[in-house]
Amino acid sequence: MGSTRAKRQIRSMLAVDFRRMFRTPFFYLVIGICFVMPILILVMTTMMDGTVSVNPQTGAETVIEGFDNVWQIIGSVSTAQTDAAAGMDMSITAMCNVNMLYFLIAVPVCVFVAGDFRSGYAKNLFTVRAGRTDYVVSKTIVCTLAAMLMLLAFFIGSVIGGKIAGLPFEMVGFGSLNLVFCLLCKLVLAAVFVPIYLIMSVCAKQRLWLSILLSMMTGMFLFMMIPMLSPLNATIAQFGLCLAGGVLLSVGLGLVSRAILRKRSIL
Amino acid sequence: MNAIEITGLTKNFGPKQALAGLDMTVPKGAIYGFLGENGSGKSTTEKILCGLVRESGGSVRIFGKPHTDSDVRSTIGVLIESPGCFPNMSVWENMMLQAANLGCEDAKREVTEVLKLVHMEGSASNKYKNCSLGMKQRIGIAMALLGDPALLVLDEPINGLDADGMRIVREVLVELAANHGVTVLVSSHILGELEKIATHYGIIRGGKMLREMSAAELDASCRTYTTLRTRDQLRAQEILAQQGKRADIDESGALRAFDTTPAEVAAWLYAQNLLVGEIAGAKISLEEYYTDLMKEGR
Repeated sequence: MGSTRAKRQIRSMLAVDFRRMFRTPFFYLVIGICFVMPILILVMTTMMDGTVSVNPQTGAETVIEGFDNVWQIIGSVSTAQTDAAAGMDMSITAMCNVNMLYFLIAVPVCVFVAGDFRSGYAKNLFTVRAGRTDYVVSKTIVCTLAAMLMLLAFFIGSVIGGKIAGLPFEMVGFGSLNLVFCLLCKLVLAAVFVPIYLIMSVCAKQRLWLSILLSMMTGMFLFMMIPMLSPLNATIAQFGLCLAGGVLLSVGLGLVSRAILRKRSIL
Repeated sequence: MNAIEITGLTKNFGPKQALAGLDMTVPKGAIYGFLGENGSGKSTTEKILCGLVRESGGSVRIFGKPHTDSDVRSTIGVLIESPGCFPNMSVWENMMLQAANLGCEDAKREVTEVLKLVHMEGSASNKYKNCSLGMKQRIGIAMALLGDPALLVLDEPINGLDADGMRIVREVLVELAANHGVTVLVSSHILGELEKIATHYGIIRGGKMLREMSAAELDASCRTYTTLRTRDQLRAQEILAQQGKRADIDESGALRAFDTTPAEVAAWLYAQNLLVGEIAGAKISLEEYYTDLMKEGR
């Protein structure tokens, strides 16, 4: 009887969160940004490729290097490229890629959770529901799904942007299946970032600015691992690793969020 | 069984003690008027009761069970501070969200019923942000009524309501308590309104219960007095003092003589050749009782 009630509660909570997340213009604005961003990046960097800019004070010349290949915006294959993406080289291709989206994910998650506390919805909810588990589970599921949709929008935008920019779609050092696994790895990695942002959001409660700040700061520490865990030549083993890590961290970090909600006052 | 039993409740916000060992008993089916000055601990008590704030110490039981019990919590309807709605959603959507949170079987029917109860059925499609303060209060009350609660906790529910709105809320609360056995804990600064519906009172000060009594007990403890106007109020006061009766002059200039009747007062003054212009029997209102009680403690 208890499990039936728990199931009913989690279902109703999910229904509410789905309705709230996917029926708001804000979410579609974020999706739109995720879609347009790679198009702008690919088109603009292609247009500026090879442009030399000179520093008027030092006289140093900098050559702007664009993308050689569409898939560079999704990931990298070689270790050297992975290192570059990890921040050892500050080139445009290393910085302006899908990985920066893991920062952007913090925005809808924080807005979503802070909205609960700002509006007083959390107050209504926690008055009639003593348990915090369904709240955390529901938020994690819905926000992870939203993050995955953002990544997919970026991927679709990348393909369209590549076409517009006339960049090659060559797969050097990886195949179509690797690309699929790379994308799956990236989607699953969202399940690692979302619970972290959820912890920050429940700590900051209605203070949206604080939750975004804390989330981005925390996300920065984990940013380095993304290119390493999801290269373009990813295999099923890497996907399995990301999936297991994603699930374990979601559960573990979800328990932390629940503990914070239980120990701290809602108002 | 009592609806609410609070024993030795304490709450500290850093160095500040908001509740200092509060004891409180709300009988089942009562409309409990919870009174106190600003910062006396009313809202904190209500928030603890609803599980929104964690207590520092003491015990809180609702219908015999700890207030953290899931079964108990689903029986509480709350309006604390504001209704807790999303401004960009319609009244109907906000109500449906809360109905979903409560797991209402027939959410549409329930939402329609409670909106009708507070006369808000015509504004269901309005965006919440476009509602007036009074409308928002009514929505908050409607939301608190969702899911057939056995206990209603209402913090200043009639704030911002017009006379008609106050009457509606009053009628709804009395109906719920009298015919459905719902217990209502209501705090308000509009004591005149509270006096019309409350069956029990609790007066809190400095985080402690100052006095707790039923409406009948309050009625018995409220002293009757005679209010009168004469050509010479000071002389009238002296005559009453000679009879051993305390009398004072209020802000309007009327003389108030305590523990006596208008007939006695009129007879004493007539015997001293002092004519009475106006005379009437009166009783200390809840507001006066409350004000006197607060003055006593200062």
